[in-house]
Amino acid sequence: MKRWLLAAAVGLGLGLAQGVVLRALMEDVPETRIIEELLPEFQRQTGIRVEFEKVQYSAMHDKLVAQFLAPTNAYDFLQVDFLWAGEFPAAGWLEPLEPYVKASGFDLSPYFPSMLDLVGYYRGTLYMIPMYNYAMGLIYRKDLLGRQDLKERFRAQHGRALTLPRTLEEYVETSLFMAKNAGVSGAAMQGQRGDPNFMEFSNYLFAAKGDYVDRNWRVTLASPQGEKALTLYVRNIRQAAPKGALNFNLDDTFRVMCQGQAFSMVTYWWMLPQLDDPRQCPKVAGKVALAPMPGGVGVNGGWGWAIPRNSANKEAAWRFISWVESKEIVLKRALKGHAPTRKDAFQDPGVLRRYPYYRQAEAIIAQAKKVPIFAYTAEMEDVVGREISLAAAGQKGIRQALQDAAKGLEGLLRKAGLLR
Amino acid sequence: MGERRFAWALALPGLLVLAGVVGFPLLYALFLSFTRYTFLSPSYALSGPGRFAEALGDPYFLHALGLTALYVALTVGLTLVLGLLLAVLLHQNLPLKGFHYVVVGLPMLVAPVGVGLIWKMILHPELGILAYLFGGVDFFGDVRYALLSLALVDVWQQVSFAALVLLAGLRSLPREPLEAAYVDGATPFQAFLRVTLPLLRPVLVVLLILQTLTEVRTYDLVYVLTRGGPGSATDLVSYFIYRKAFLGLDLSGASAMGYLLLLLTLLLVAAYYRAMTRL
Repeated sequence: MKRWLLAAAVGLGLGLAQGVVLRALMEDVPETRIIEELLPEFQRQTGIRVEFEKVQYSAMHDKLVAQFLAPTNAYDFLQVDFLWAGEFPAAGWLEPLEPYVKASGFDLSPYFPSMLDLVGYYRGTLYMIPMYNYAMGLIYRKDLLGRQDLKERFRAQHGRALTLPRTLEEYVETSLFMAKNAGVSGAAMQGQRGDPNFMEFSNYLFAAKGDYVDRNWRVTLASPQGEKALTLYVRNIRQAAPKGALNFNLDDTFRVMCQGQAFSMVTYWWMLPQLDDPRQCPKVAGKVALAPMPGGVGVNGGWGWAIPRNSANKEAAWRFISWVESKEIVLKRALKGHAPTRKDAFQDPGVLRRYPYYRQAEAIIAQAKKVPIFAYTAEMEDVVGREISLAAAGQKGIRQALQDAAKGLEGLLRKAGLLR
Repeated sequence: MGERRFAWALALPGLLVLAGVVGFPLLYALFLSFTRYTFLSPSYALSGPGRFAEALGDPYFLHALGLTALYVALTVGLTLVLGLLLAVLLHQNLPLKGFHYVVVGLPMLVAPVGVGLIWKMILHPELGILAYLFGGVDFFGDVRYALLSLALVDVWQQVSFAALVLLAGLRSLPREPLEAAYVDGATPFQAFLRVTLPLLRPVLVVLLILQTLTEVRTYDLVYVLTRGGPGSATDLVSYFIYRKAFLGLDLSGASAMGYLLLLLTLLLVAAYYRAMTRL
């Protein structure tokens, strides 16, 4: 009798699941298409169909906010950029995931602690499962570093060997040298105001041992370290970056680097395979390499999976998240080129055979540091980015720009209730 | 049914739609601007005129307002002058008239985001053809040129609409005053200045109002081309208000700024209107 009842319950469950269609808003990038290729497998296993609405990054935030404010969300699960990883939970828009993790026995231990800190927990509660990583490091031209004439000239000018820079000062010095002597720009820099220049500058800040806030959310940006970082950043963008760098975004810097017109770029580690692809960038393929940000610490970035609180299909959404983040599927995604967030994917022999630079990527992620994540992180990017841009354009002095950025950040932290 | 009632019955569906899609959002935004409503704490607790005072005390908002005034003067002025020039040319008996109409009308048919992307590549400092011809001028990365470059891209698109409206105006002018001027010995330039232009003035004023309203709302080109930079060289007010709402999540603050902008625009339009009715 019991067996019959169980069979009936399973049958009913499957029958109900057969009818479920999960919808998600996804960024229109190759990684989304990689997951999309695997969706039929999920449907075969569970009977649940998943549909992705793919849009450009810039359209995502507004669409998501509109859905959060509706009685029922049109999306059953989401991908959350780390910039929103404070805002969405603070507004109460995301479902806490601990009960789902416990009930399903989902294992969080394979994830990098830096990733769980970035797109996992918000103020002690788990709201997201790390999905994708885009920590930042240095991509540089190894052929230029190895050129004999440049080595000799560098030693004559600076009294040391031309090697991969280990500190921020060395990096800017090498960049300026390349701009003057190698017939290329020293650094392809993304100086456009907002997210591009904020992300880039944050690497300089962390490399100079500075930070935006301390453990108690007190603003520490206008410090000697901050001043050093901004001075070196402004020097590099004004003297060693390509013309137009003050308005460059990621695409522009990629084009410059891809055409062999720059020695280096501080960027996302996943840019390396794009630049190393002979079909896409024949001028630099085979000549580029990845290293941690000089100074050792770069900015961490990433996406996480989440379930909106007003989702109509939370259980099915969790079923999808735990499937797509299972080791088997993560390895399949990684082999197709999807940047993983689990340590075991970075250490898998098959993945390493295909992508040997994942060793460097793993080191970058393990050391990566996050910018302050709170309810107004996106506005912080805007406020700080504005001041960096004013300094880089020569419209404001370094110290004044830092003080104004710190003041703006302090105001946002007060607004978020993190500072009294 | 009386004629008056019949007219109301015909207008009613349209009026109801207008009240729903224009009237309600306007009233809702006005109400919000007197609250402290944000996306993070959606409360309708009244705050009085505090949000307006905050906006007027924000130096970056005031900078954006001033910059927008300069931008509007630049774009509207250039659009009207170039539009008039094109309209006068198209009014002549040129060969291949149809072809010219199509060419002049084309920019109007492209979405502003498309216009931004096209010009971004044309003016790209490393890859753009115009940057190359002008000796590598950094159109959008140099604070000295960024606003002007943005304005010129905008004018490129707006001028076709202005030319077509002014051409329609020229076509509808009575011929008699012009013929009388020629009989009195006026040169073509004198006739244009003293007869055509004054007769065209109502069309020019309507165009002035429409173009001013369009330019005050400039957002898409800034978004695609400069994001308000470098520094704050192109931080126009509509883009500023957008960021206040969607990055700052501050709907009430953005509404107050929006209403201040609406007030200033209304004052400007009222001044134009007064100038027109005096004619």
